[in-house]
Amino acid sequence: MAGQAAGTRTSRRSSAGRCPPSTAASSSTPTAAASTSSAADPHLDALISSALSTIHRALPSPSVSVGGRLCALPDAPDGGGPDRLSCLPDALLRDIISRLPVKDAVRTAALSHRWRPVWLSAPLVLYDAHLLPAPTDDIPSRVKRADSDAAAAAVSVILAAHGGPLRCAYLACGNMDGDRARVARWLQLLAVKGVEELLLINRPPLQIDKHLPATLFSMAALTRLYLCFLRFPATAGLPRGAAFPRLRELGLCSVAMEGHADMDFILARSPELENLCFEGHMFPPLGLRLAGRSLRCVQIHYSKVKSIAVVDAPRLARLIVMNSPLKAGGSCTIKIGNAPSLHLFGYFDPVSHVLQVGSTDIKAGTLVDARAMVPAVKILALKFHFRVRNDAKMLPSFLRCFPNVERLYIHSEKVNEPTGKLNFKFWQEAGGIQCVESRVKQLVFHDFRGENSELAFLKFLVESARVLEKLVIVCADGCFGSVDEANSKVKKNLFAGKKGAGGCALLVLEGAKEKEGAPWPYDRGFDFSRVDPFEFVVPT
Amino acid sequence: MAAADSCDGISTSGGGWEKTVTLVSSDDARFEVREAAASLSQTVRRMIRAGGDGGIPLPKVDARTLSTVLEYCNKHAAVPAPAPESSSAEAAAVDLEWFDKELMHVDLATLCSLIRAADYLEVAGLLDLTCKTVADMIKSKTAEEIRQMFGIQNDFTPEEEEQLSRENAGVFE
Repeated sequence: MAGQAAGTRTSRRSSAGRCPPSTAASSSTPTAAASTSSAADPHLDALISSALSTIHRALPSPSVSVGGRLCALPDAPDGGGPDRLSCLPDALLRDIISRLPVKDAVRTAALSHRWRPVWLSAPLVLYDAHLLPAPTDDIPSRVKRADSDAAAAAVSVILAAHGGPLRCAYLACGNMDGDRARVARWLQLLAVKGVEELLLINRPPLQIDKHLPATLFSMAALTRLYLCFLRFPATAGLPRGAAFPRLRELGLCSVAMEGHADMDFILARSPELENLCFEGHMFPPLGLRLAGRSLRCVQIHYSKVKSIAVVDAPRLARLIVMNSPLKAGGSCTIKIGNAPSLHLFGYFDPVSHVLQVGSTDIKAGTLVDARAMVPAVKILALKFHFRVRNDAKMLPSFLRCFPNVERLYIHSEKVNEPTGKLNFKFWQEAGGIQCVESRVKQLVFHDFRGENSELAFLKFLVESARVLEKLVIVCADGCFGSVDEANSKVKKNLFAGKKGAGGCALLVLEGAKEKEGAPWPYDRGFDFSRVDPFEFVVPT
Repeated sequence: MAAADSCDGISTSGGGWEKTVTLVSSDDARFEVREAAASLSQTVRRMIRAGGDGGIPLPKVDARTLSTVLEYCNKHAAVPAPAPESSSAEAAAVDLEWFDKELMHVDLATLCSLIRAADYLEVAGLLDLTCKTVADMIKSKTAEEIRQMFGIQNDFTPEEEEQLSRENAGVFE
């Protein structure tokens, strides 16, 4: 009906562009420094600004935008007909107003007596970047102090005046540490007015040694929550009733916590939680125990992770772990326990990850029996160092854990100090790998440099994968003079002496220039209408 | 449930047979529509289920408005659902977007009739489109510009106007 029609689910930010890897990687660093130093640091501020620009592209975009492209035919000037718009029932006027940026929505109250009360009860979409002198749908990487103060004052006025319901609040333009009382008041009002979607981004100077108020846990209508550069409320000592009864999506970007118990608490108190995402998580390094009947997708980007244990997650379909920075020698243990629906898993990186399935540690030479298999996985992505002998030797055992993989994504990692080469014979002697022989239909090989070790693996794969339908090879930037050169090298090595590639379609593509820098929009993983979020989109 | 008497059928270009329903506007015009298209209206869908003779009466929608609503429904019901990541899905989405934009090139009176009709018929997509169109026309305009565009009478006294601007000062300054 009219009052509920405005779409609250938002689509992926269409402006998602690319940015240099340094920017993306830096999203992980600010919290580390910020938690120890509260003094303003221009270098740190700059880092956070650049991290913000990365994060904002990955965040869900607001459902209301400042731009408009739709238009009816206006009546002739001064010859306009009667005012039919004002004759619409309140519910429909509210529906229209709830699609307006907040300033425009407030302005409708000044049109006439008819319009005066309507916006106060129209579902509110409060996006503080719409309150800046130059309103924008983006989360700006920098905001002038005077502008953010004015926006914050306006937020206070609007939250106090509006009667609810509050569909969505994105508060992303100001510092949340300077005026703690104001933030506490906002959260109180947001809770009372039943906010459904909330996104809070803190800005420098950060002082994230102070916790957010536990009011968060009294937002009973909350379905989606994103927090950035903040300290999560301490969960120890919270009352029994503290919970997120309707929360379906939670994103924590550089959010500090007291310890693993906080995350356990959140998972235990969020019975509807389907989507969970971490970005740039530093303190403490994540020790994630995934247990819950509702979880469907967990994504972890650029975060310090000590361990991920899928303890009991019967609905978990996607586990996406990308770019975990670790200290030298550190590694993250990924344990897969009860995960009967786990359809997609990636990017496994043998340098920084240790895999355990059931109670079996997967190492080079491990005999993989049924108890060490994850049969549900159909889409698997991994990073691989083909010129590090120990890594490569582990690959057959690893692949044997996933006997039903149909789509395999491999990113060939550059090695500065190769420790051995692996030829075709090595792969032949490794023995049969079930998924390769009878399941893999599609292989996408990223960052192909034309090295012999890569070619040996590809040749093995092409010769043993009986149902392979499609082989996509994406060249690493700058490794070949042209795509044709790469193409002929692949054909010569893989299909020499054959008329064609059998039933397999071969596609050799030029690599993107800034492959690492493109932020991964979270809803790419969360969107289950997209069958394969790793799907390689062929540039047109 | 047995199909209602108002359901007939037409043969499609592909040689298949598609069920149709007859809708009757407030001014007694009859429209024969594919059931798949008419079912985009939740109101019509319920009435089809309930059954009845001689077409489905829609006493709140006139023929002119109903024909535009049905233009929308026919277009949107015709779209098959390809895999979301495929390029054909993208092309279909672009085509639909263009269609929607063109469909909104109507005068304001018609637009308001369409909003009422979409609400009454519960065609969620059309209600979304029409409300969004009005919202887009209101965006970043002054109150006076909005009044002029839609013919809204300013019935505030000068004192009331002053009070309003005081109340909203916190948002606009």
